Amino acid sequence: GVFAHLETLEAQAHEAAMEEEETEQQEEKMARLKARVRELRLRRDKLQAKVDLRQKGLGKEGGMLDPAEPSARAVLEWKIRSLKAMLQVFYLTGISGKLTRRGVCFCLSTAYEGIYLDSYYLDLLTKPEVRIHRHSVPIFIPLEHIAKQYLQTDIRRFLAVLSDHLNAYTGRRYQAEQLQEHFSDQIEGTLQSNSLCNLLVFKYNVSSKSNTFPFSVRLLYSDLCCSLPTEVTVSC
Amino acid sequence: MDETVAEYIRRTVLKIPRDEIKAMLQKWGFLSESQLQTINFHQIKENISQEVVQLCEENSADIKQAAVLDIIYNHIYPNKRVWSVYQMNKTAEETEFFDLTDFKKKFKRRLRSALKNITINFREYEDNAIWIRIAWGTPYTKPNQYKTSYVVYHSQTPYVFISASVLKSNLPLLCQALVLASNYHDIREMELRSHSLNSLKDIVFKRYSQNFQTHYPRPLQERNVAPENADLRIIQENRSEKERIQRVNREVFGDGPQPKLEFAQYRLETMFKSDPKMDVLDKKEPFRCLVKFSSPHLLESLKSLAPAGMADAPLSPLLTCIPQKARNYFKIREKKGVFPESFVSP
Repeated sequence: GVFAHLETLEAQAHEAAMEEEETEQQEEKMARLKARVRELRLRRDKLQAKVDLRQKGLGKEGGMLDPAEPSARAVLEWKIRSLKAMLQVFYLTGISGKLTRRGVCFCLSTAYEGIYLDSYYLDLLTKPEVRIHRHSVPIFIPLEHIAKQYLQTDIRRFLAVLSDHLNAYTGRRYQAEQLQEHFSDQIEGTLQSNSLCNLLVFKYNVSSKSNTFPFSVRLLYSDLCCSLPTEVTVSC
Repeated sequence: MDETVAEYIRRTVLKIPRDEIKAMLQKWGFLSESQLQTINFHQIKENISQEVVQLCEENSADIKQAAVLDIIYNHIYPNKRVWSVYQMNKTAEETEFFDLTDFKKKFKRRLRSALKNITINFREYEDNAIWIRIAWGTPYTKPNQYKTSYVVYHSQTPYVFISASVLKSNLPLLCQALVLASNYHDIREMELRSHSLNSLKDIVFKRYSQNFQTHYPRPLQERNVAPENADLRIIQENRSEKERIQRVNREVFGDGPQPKLEFAQYRLETMFKSDPKMDVLDKKEPFRCLVKFSSPHLLESLKSLAPAGMADAPLSPLLTCIPQKARNYFKIREKKGVFPESFVSP
């Protein structure tokens, strides 16, 4: 009787709500598509206008300028911009170079986890054979050793190996500096390191509740091309 | 506290400029803050040093602690000494792990095994520089704290900077200890000397500015743009020549400050070239002659020679090769061959 009636009414209300929701969604979709259509029409109109302008010639606007000159100049400027962008891309890869009168000058840039660190330069002569004229590579990087192995035979490998060494060195140095900076309250004194930053020794404290535990750490990086340690010794 | 230690501390404090004394004592850390508060740093140095000695007496300073103060002084004022550069060689190429404790142990052991009476102190700085102070004695006398040798070494590099004392006889022993401790095979003195330790480091570590050609746009130097003269009647007659000189100078010397050297010495062993009719020297012997350039800042003055109009640009490579060849003592001999030019001995 009454309950059954109420149930049917409930079911009807539910259905009506569902239908309303559906129509709402449809309307939203329609609105979105209409907006998209308007956007595309606008773009098309703009491009069309550009094409028309180019076809009619630019003399319509300036009047005094030679129609041929600005467009050649615009092309040149575009070329310069895209060349500069290309050089920027090369620089960002980490190894870039420029031909010099007597050879080529390479710039090796280093980075660690997205942070740009130092750049190092190598001025090479190419005649009578490839050799290093000047450089700004730190003295503790085994440049002569790497050059002896690869410079004459495979210059790409030479640059890749040297770049690995330099990137790993600056990465290790950066990590040591960050460690000293951000954990200075936990580390006792200063980090004991060396020029290549491939051996780090330090003491730090771990406190829990009322006790503090002193730890002694020794990080060894035997792979000079790697910025992570190969051997870690922690003693209490 | 020993009388000699007290006297040594007193004399070391007297060397320090009065305004710096407090800061240096704080760096030393031997006297506590409260003790330092009791000293009047505005009185004459004689009295300041007496007060410092008294406080050191209270803390019973020994010679090792006094030596640390000396290192700190020399580290802040290294230009009071003359530094020579030594280069070490090794044939093996395995990766070195330079362990500081290992280095110090080996160094001390080698020196002490040869000489019992010796004071050795180490101090490390953040730029990985290890400062070593050595006071030499003899088998029969205590170490003379006033005739000390200083060694500055950066780990994993082949260069050592030594400011030897008057006692040159201890130099071979010192070199031996360095080679042993740093795992190298031999050591030789380079022809590079100066008062400015940092400039010597700049030269051998190649930290000075070299002009490398790159595509990557770096901030342009403003020096090119000369201030426009208000008076347009003044015309630069040889502007292009001036610009050429600037350009050549920049190529050779780079843009940044030059390392500081006080002199360059050229020992000439070349033949005297004169009109054959004059016949000045009938014996064909090299005309021995020593040319020495002195300056408070030699390389900067060489850099300014051409722009000042006192020399032609480019300068002689004998002068401009100094930082690159890392030497300021040269021997120039006659080149044997077709060309009568002189060449620089290696």
